Amino acid sequence: MLNIDIHDFDLLTDEEFESLEAETARLTSAWQVQNMRGCAAIFWDDQRIGEKRHELKALKHPGVDVAAEMAFRMKPVVDSLEGNSLVHPLTTPIIEVDPTNTKSRSLFWSLGVEGLSKFREKPTAIISIGMVPGANVVEDGEWKMLWGAWQRTTKNEYHAGWVESMIPTNTRPPLTPEEDKARLGRFAYQKDELRKPVPEPPRKDTWEKFPDEMDPQWQFINL
Amino acid sequence: MITTERKKALLTAMQKLEAYREIQNEMGRTVAAFNFRQADAVLRHFALDAEGVSLEYCDEGVFKGAENVESIIREVVGAPVKPGEMLDLQLTTPMIEIADDLQTAKCLWWVTGAGAIPQEDKDPMAIWAWGQVAADFLFTDGEWKIWHLHYFRFIKCDYKKGWVDDTSMINRLNTPLHPQADTCTYHNPYSPTGIREGLPCAPKPYSTYTRDDLGWELDRNKNW
Repeated sequence: MLNIDIHDFDLLTDEEFESLEAETARLTSAWQVQNMRGCAAIFWDDQRIGEKRHELKALKHPGVDVAAEMAFRMKPVVDSLEGNSLVHPLTTPIIEVDPTNTKSRSLFWSLGVEGLSKFREKPTAIISIGMVPGANVVEDGEWKMLWGAWQRTTKNEYHAGWVESMIPTNTRPPLTPEEDKARLGRFAYQKDELRKPVPEPPRKDTWEKFPDEMDPQWQFINL
Repeated sequence: MITTERKKALLTAMQKLEAYREIQNEMGRTVAAFNFRQADAVLRHFALDAEGVSLEYCDEGVFKGAENVESIIREVVGAPVKPGEMLDLQLTTPMIEIADDLQTAKCLWWVTGAGAIPQEDKDPMAIWAWGQVAADFLFTDGEWKIWHLHYFRFIKCDYKKGWVDDTSMINRLNTPLHPQADTCTYHNPYSPTGIREGLPCAPKPYSTYTRDDLGWELDRNKNW
């Protein structure tokens, strides 16, 4: 139990107080990022398009292509939401907040399940394992996603298993297997390939090595 | 010169961080006890002395008040364990907001789970049991305890068949509701014809828990 009161802070120099204050704020930020990414996972499962929602993306950041984001949000990829679900729980959090407490990098691993019905056919049950690497920034006083792509490990028909089945990302028009492998499937499991260690979790010195929040290269340092 | 306001703000932030850790630990212990069918241990994590303590479980109803909460936990969690039985719920995706007054917390976890249900004259049935758990915690007598708990079923199915082919366990059978239960407030498990609604929602930052906050997890307003 934290057994202190504000008078205990009088024992600290101003410099020590400010250091404690900054570190506490960074720890709080990691928690807020986890909350925000959890909310994003809820929105992801609820696939309504064109619905007004609390903005979780940092749309004011110059690195965000707002027009492309808005177009993506309006585009249907299934005829009906019946039977469709994308539940990607967030586990294994690794979150590094920069010293200014204004930007962070996060990585979660995920063991997820899905239901997919593209044209109102009986849904396909899918096991969807992957990672969510990304960057976050403070905008309008709250943490928002700057970018954060799903990186697929498996997306397989449930009964077939991940060795035998790889379902491409559902897009309209559909992707060819080659196009899919070049996008979200780039680092996906392949039974005849060595697994690549991507993404590397953000390291403690990630903000020294990669100061630009738009730079995604921290994920690929093992290649 | 560091102002008193800054000192107060830092102390509150540190206390919130501590509460965040303690609540995750408490919920983890509760789930472990639930998985191991330790009714007394589960009950120790509930604020049974608090007004309004409640437990809602899928479509089985809401159990309000200490007597009813204790009764259903003893009945379900405390039932005799059978050979081959297993439940393994795991907490993921924590979303936790601690009130500024440090007296309550609103929490949500996504739950992944596997289990085994004993069957007569054959091997147990392996199942998936996934859901979400929304909980209000109350700081009482120096400890964080569960004040309101609401478990939402997402999937419950035969492992061999999967969640699309087996929906036989997502809804309760047409038997009388438990006499101590009130009507459930929400139930929308995955089904091949169902539509996801973004519920339970994530908790939002708040200052003090008021009467209107009860059931925050069912807030359909996504544009706050």
